[in-house]
Amino acid sequence: MKKIEAIIQPFKFDDVKEAMKAIGIDGMTVTEVRGHGRQKGHKEVYRGQEYEVDLLPKVKLEMVIPDARLDEVIGTLTRSARTGKIGDGKLFVYEVAEAVRIRNDDRGESAL
Amino acid sequence: MTAANQPYSEPDPRGFWDDPAGALVRRTVTVDRTVSESFAKHLEPVAPAGLALLAVGGYGRRELFPFSDVDLLLLIEKQGVPERMRGAISAFLQSLWDAGLRVSHSVRTPVDCSALDEQNIELSISLLDQRFLAGDRGLHAKLDLAMARYLDRQGSALAGHLCRMVRDRHAKHGGSIYQLEPNIKEAPGGLRDYQLIAWLKKLRDARHNAPAREDDTPDLIPARDFLFGLRTYLHQRARRDSNTLTFELQDEIAELFATSPAVWMRRYYSSARGIAREALRAIETVDEQSSSLLVQFRDWRSRVSNTEFHVSRERVYFRAPQRLEHDPGMALRLFEFVGRHGMHLALETVRRLDQHSAALSHYFASPPAPLWPGFKAILATPHCALALNAMHETGALAALLPEWGPVECLVIRDFYHRYTVDEHTLRAIRILEDLRTPKDPGWKRVAGLYSEIDRLDLVMFALLFHDLGKSLKEGLAHVGASAELAASAMERLGMPEEDRRVVIALIEHHLALSSVMNSRDLEDPSTAPFIAAKVGTLEILKQLTVLTFADISAVNPSAMSPWRLEQLWRVYLLGYNELTRELESDRIHEGGVEKAGMEEFLEGFPVRYLRKHSAAEIEAHFQLEQRSRERGVAVDIHRENGFYALTLVARDRPALLSAIAGAMAGFGMNILRAEGFANRGGIILDTFVFEDPHHTLELNPTEVDRLRLTLERVTLGRLDVKELLRSRPAPAPPTKKARVAPAVSFDSRVSEVATLIEVVAEDRPGLLYALTSAIASTGANIDVVLIDTRAHKAIDVFYVTADGKKLSAAQQAEMKEKLLKACAP
Repeated sequence: MKKIEAIIQPFKFDDVKEAMKAIGIDGMTVTEVRGHGRQKGHKEVYRGQEYEVDLLPKVKLEMVIPDARLDEVIGTLTRSARTGKIGDGKLFVYEVAEAVRIRNDDRGESAL
Repeated sequence: MTAANQPYSEPDPRGFWDDPAGALVRRTVTVDRTVSESFAKHLEPVAPAGLALLAVGGYGRRELFPFSDVDLLLLIEKQGVPERMRGAISAFLQSLWDAGLRVSHSVRTPVDCSALDEQNIELSISLLDQRFLAGDRGLHAKLDLAMARYLDRQGSALAGHLCRMVRDRHAKHGGSIYQLEPNIKEAPGGLRDYQLIAWLKKLRDARHNAPAREDDTPDLIPARDFLFGLRTYLHQRARRDSNTLTFELQDEIAELFATSPAVWMRRYYSSARGIAREALRAIETVDEQSSSLLVQFRDWRSRVSNTEFHVSRERVYFRAPQRLEHDPGMALRLFEFVGRHGMHLALETVRRLDQHSAALSHYFASPPAPLWPGFKAILATPHCALALNAMHETGALAALLPEWGPVECLVIRDFYHRYTVDEHTLRAIRILEDLRTPKDPGWKRVAGLYSEIDRLDLVMFALLFHDLGKSLKEGLAHVGASAELAASAMERLGMPEEDRRVVIALIEHHLALSSVMNSRDLEDPSTAPFIAAKVGTLEILKQLTVLTFADISAVNPSAMSPWRLEQLWRVYLLGYNELTRELESDRIHEGGVEKAGMEEFLEGFPVRYLRKHSAAEIEAHFQLEQRSRERGVAVDIHRENGFYALTLVARDRPALLSAIAGAMAGFGMNILRAEGFANRGGIILDTFVFEDPHHTLELNPTEVDRLRLTLERVTLGRLDVKELLRSRPAPAPPTKKARVAPAVSFDSRVSEVATLIEVVAEDRPGLLYALTSAIASTGANIDVVLIDTRAHKAIDVFYVTADGKKLSAAQQAEMKEKLLKACAP
């Protein structure tokens, strides 16, 4: 099993969710986060005052998937989250040692 | 299987619905038997005296639900369980667990039980329902005696603690009965609230000197039985003490009763509402008795009474309720009174409204005069949310606005909404009102925006209607349906055309900012123009921003996260900067106007002009321009919404705006808002909204003509404004409160041809004259001006050129110094 952690643009979240649903991936954890990578912050002006916006709003998705589906999921995720501009985000893949469904003790991929 | 756990598996899932209270008593009797038998077997032999067994809590009340804890209290003579009893108590409890009962027990002495322990209020509460089961009757009699003394002494303190606990519990469980998946025990209107009413009554009855109170508690038995049946079902279904009425269970139960979940849930809400109302009333009675400070305050507040209503014990009463029959309009004034003073209706008043509901409905359906002024007055009060809530609770809101009825207790299921449509709406209005005194520091920026909004009544009206279409159309289609419902209601109420336009725009776009937040790249250059085009004007953008804030916040308690709020603010900023920018850069080119001369008149005005003004207003401006041709100037002054509106058309000349502002100051008028632009032909159109703080115009109607004449002469340069101002007394020194530090900023990037100057300063009479004179004194020309004033704060935007070009750095520095000087009184 693999865990995918993806940081994406907030406005791409609906597209990603739909794309994931279309390939049968329903389970994910979503967090509203702030951060920056190469896309540095910028200045905003309101009533002549400048405000530094250094941490940009992003959405973090986490999902655990069977090994066999990794490439398919990465492909779908990148396609649906991409605008081609700096700030589209990144995704990271981790090994998962075990999964347990708390309700009935299912283990491994059948717990996903 | 023993007798005790038999009731855990009722054969007929509907059997207990007919007589749920009876079913609970039958379970209690069965459990009593098991417990008593076990007591006789294990404990009586070792402790023939000095030990009594009591049922407490729900079990004590004979309301033992399947899978609920069986609460027992072992009463002993004095501290410390004797050695010989310990083993026997273990064996006793063990036997009960073996019989399938979930036992929760404690061992205490009568002295323990009759002391107020703030850490363990629950113990005192559970003892209110204590019931003797077995053992030493003499010992139990001692407890009864000790309890009676304790409650007489500490009863009111205990009631106070109990009420505090209830408030915490309500806050923890959503603070509303209208939740989509309520906890039927703990949420407001749940079984705990029913018990609260009974406990507070017991506490009152236990005190010798408690003030007598007429017992007018309505019959809550049907509501209680409904919840009894429901909780029994929930426990049996989950096979544990689980009290959340999930969507899944709602479907199941509705099917059982051959109805739809939405219809069945209305039954739930109506039961919960009856209980919640009584519980609140019981709490208020305790509050009133416990606070002497409140009594003083109450006496002070009773001074707000007027000829129609009087206030007693913080509650509003009719002075002559029979007048409602031939003057039903008094009801609207009543709610305005509630909204103005932030006080609840007395139960008596609610009853009177109820008695005259037919007269009220008739009056609202065919009023002798438009109802809008009366309703507008309510929407403009500082406690408008409270007033609307009172209208909702008494049915007056649905009588006034039949569109409201279908959303009462209406459940729309989705993943995010936690409340019914009516509750969501009233909650949103409450949140909007909370912006006046924001508790959360994160709300400050939005709250600042709120304070800049003119016509909050229209935002409130839009919020009241924004989701009403949900009773007709699903999903996004509700937006159009809500707008249609609002349109017909506004026509019926007799609202002015321009107010209707604002409300419709707000409703139609109430999801626009959220949708930008969720689905558009805020970094993309096309987003800002998209927002600007969507909302049209700065005014609508501000109103929509606070409306969106309230709407999202009222979806569920955590919906408006700091992250979301930041997104919303960024969307606002993008829109704000874009709309400010296009004021200068986006001009009307081709009007496509048929009328002769109109096209010429409009050409060169900012695009904003067309968005801001109705066809009728544009026509009136055009007429004024025609009139100005003869003498080079035309002025119109009229009253509007409690203020004065001034429109002036003239040929532009240097320092003209300064001269006009000076003339206004000379008359002691206070400018609240202003706009000024020139068209391509060099004709300027200035519109001002001003107030008359000394009532000069009101008291001397001829002064209006003199002001008009003066403005014309000043515009044509026939009167020196300095001359006029010499005769004015110096303005009063500014008060200490609400100081606004002056700020002047420049931006040359936003426009192709001009420099934007933004001035924020403490408002005072003559400020605009001082600022425009300062600008004129540098030889610069004002292309566009937009003036706004909110609560002592003036926010003025000028687009300025010098010799047709943007200001240089040196010019900016000079201008800044002069402007800052002008800001200081």
